[in-house]
Amino acid sequence: MPELGRGPRIVGFLCDFAVDASALTAPDGTMRQLPNVTLIKVPCSGFVRPSWLEFALRNGAEGTFVCGCPLGDCFNRLGNNLIGDRVVQLRRRFERQKIHPDRIATIYFGLHDQEGFLGAVKAFSDHVAQLPGPVVPPPRPAPTRPAAGARPPAGTAAQPAPAPEPSSESGQTAQGES
Amino acid sequence: MYSRALTRLLDWTLRLDVAINRVYPEDFNPLYYTGGLSNLFLTVLVLSGIFLFLYYIPSFNDAYISVQFITNQVPYGQIVRGVHRYAADGFMIAVLLHFFRNWFTDRFQFSRDEPWISGMMLLLFTGFLGVTGYVLVWDERSQLLVAMTGRTLGAVPWIGGYLQSQWLGSAGVSNLLLPRMLYLHVGLAVLLYILLWWHYVRIRHPKVWPPAVWTLFSLGLIFLLTGLVPAASQPPARPDAVPSSLAVDWLFLLPYVALKVLSPLVLLALAVVITVYGLYIPYQLPETPAALGIRDSGIAQVIDANCTGCELCYYDCPYNAIVMVPSPHPGVTKAAQARKLYAIVLESRCVECGICVGACPFEALELPRLLESDVQQKVVQACRS
Repeated sequence: MPELGRGPRIVGFLCDFAVDASALTAPDGTMRQLPNVTLIKVPCSGFVRPSWLEFALRNGAEGTFVCGCPLGDCFNRLGNNLIGDRVVQLRRRFERQKIHPDRIATIYFGLHDQEGFLGAVKAFSDHVAQLPGPVVPPPRPAPTRPAAGARPPAGTAAQPAPAPEPSSESGQTAQGES
Repeated sequence: MYSRALTRLLDWTLRLDVAINRVYPEDFNPLYYTGGLSNLFLTVLVLSGIFLFLYYIPSFNDAYISVQFITNQVPYGQIVRGVHRYAADGFMIAVLLHFFRNWFTDRFQFSRDEPWISGMMLLLFTGFLGVTGYVLVWDERSQLLVAMTGRTLGAVPWIGGYLQSQWLGSAGVSNLLLPRMLYLHVGLAVLLYILLWWHYVRIRHPKVWPPAVWTLFSLGLIFLLTGLVPAASQPPARPDAVPSSLAVDWLFLLPYVALKVLSPLVLLALAVVITVYGLYIPYQLPETPAALGIRDSGIAQVIDANCTGCELCYYDCPYNAIVMVPSPHPGVTKAAQARKLYAIVLESRCVECGICVGACPFEALELPRLLESDVQQKVVQACRS
């Protein structure tokens, strides 16, 4: 019996051509064996914008994954390769943002590979459950901008002066894509 | 029943994939590279064919002798001939696998009719090239093939005699036959490349070559077969008598075997029906919007204000459905103000897969019936439940 309400909250994007999960999920997309996992159907795994994975993490999910067809077998030829590359890039971006990159993953299972899919999702869920810390690091304190003209004297060691660079999430996200 | 049979075949194809994926890594599953393998075999055929062409003499007296000369006297002639022979078999096998695989997995739907139609023509020409190649050797089998082809063409009502004389040079067998066959074998191979251009033109990153491992394996297999079972001719053709038994090559000469049980007219009618049906396959839209479900999310739309002309969607669209045009006016957002280009979706080529949506970091592309806000709403709902 699965323990209801236990385990990390996970959102999965599932390609419509990939594994047939209709027998595995409740009508609202929650998986029967793993009630902490919710699947969202998309027309192709390449449809998933990497920013949606980040969006899910910032909105309460503890892990997200994209499931596509086996590499090389994408109905639209390249969708799963593309999402694979994009997720690799997103993981690198997450490392800079102090989000654990293992919170996102891509898995690839064909139409009839329900057991493999279930096993992979379970392994992902277990792995996410072990990851430390908050999903998204707490926002840095807003830069304490000194009043104009009131420059602190140089060399005062007591001033921590973190000098945080502007949080470069959206801009970097856009640029790093290319 | 027909659609259920196709569904069953789709199941089997995918199960076979899974089974093979257990043996090989996914990147090396040969069934994912049937097109690339075909192209590999075709290249081998062209290269070895040029060598054979240099030595071949298209006349009744010299054809058989020149083939024997290639086999026995020309350095490496036996090997090149064998390579040409077995690469042809490999080509036919790879092409048939490619055909059935793409048929059973529905890879002809939506705007993919052009690869399908050109593929059907490539398949027809492949069989045709195989038969003309068998005629060129001019042994007993060639003679029989010519006789059977002539009889079949002659059976066409009204224009049969005309067809026979036009294709074979005359009502019987004449001196024009072998030069004609040589031209049809070599010239139509060039046409094959024109059709291949059509086959690839709508595809963004065609997998033209198989992985290096499979290239080496296929080449090795060809050479191994060449060494183990050298290609050989049947006894030479005799002008006085047509032989009655056919040394069968099941890959290329299946229609000629069928002539044993079918009358020529029935065979021709069957061929026409199969060809017409094959060309009709991509146009038989069996799926309703309800059955398509989320796959029918509407043709991708470019949001003018956000498009920065970065070309990412243009590079990623698998069907060349997105073209970049000079920007008619600057975009509205800050990032889009300095754009030089603007993306346009060609509706007739769009299959509604949404890969461009995932490619676009500027939120400038949307599927009308599955907007970004819809997905985000689903995500929020999933996180709340």
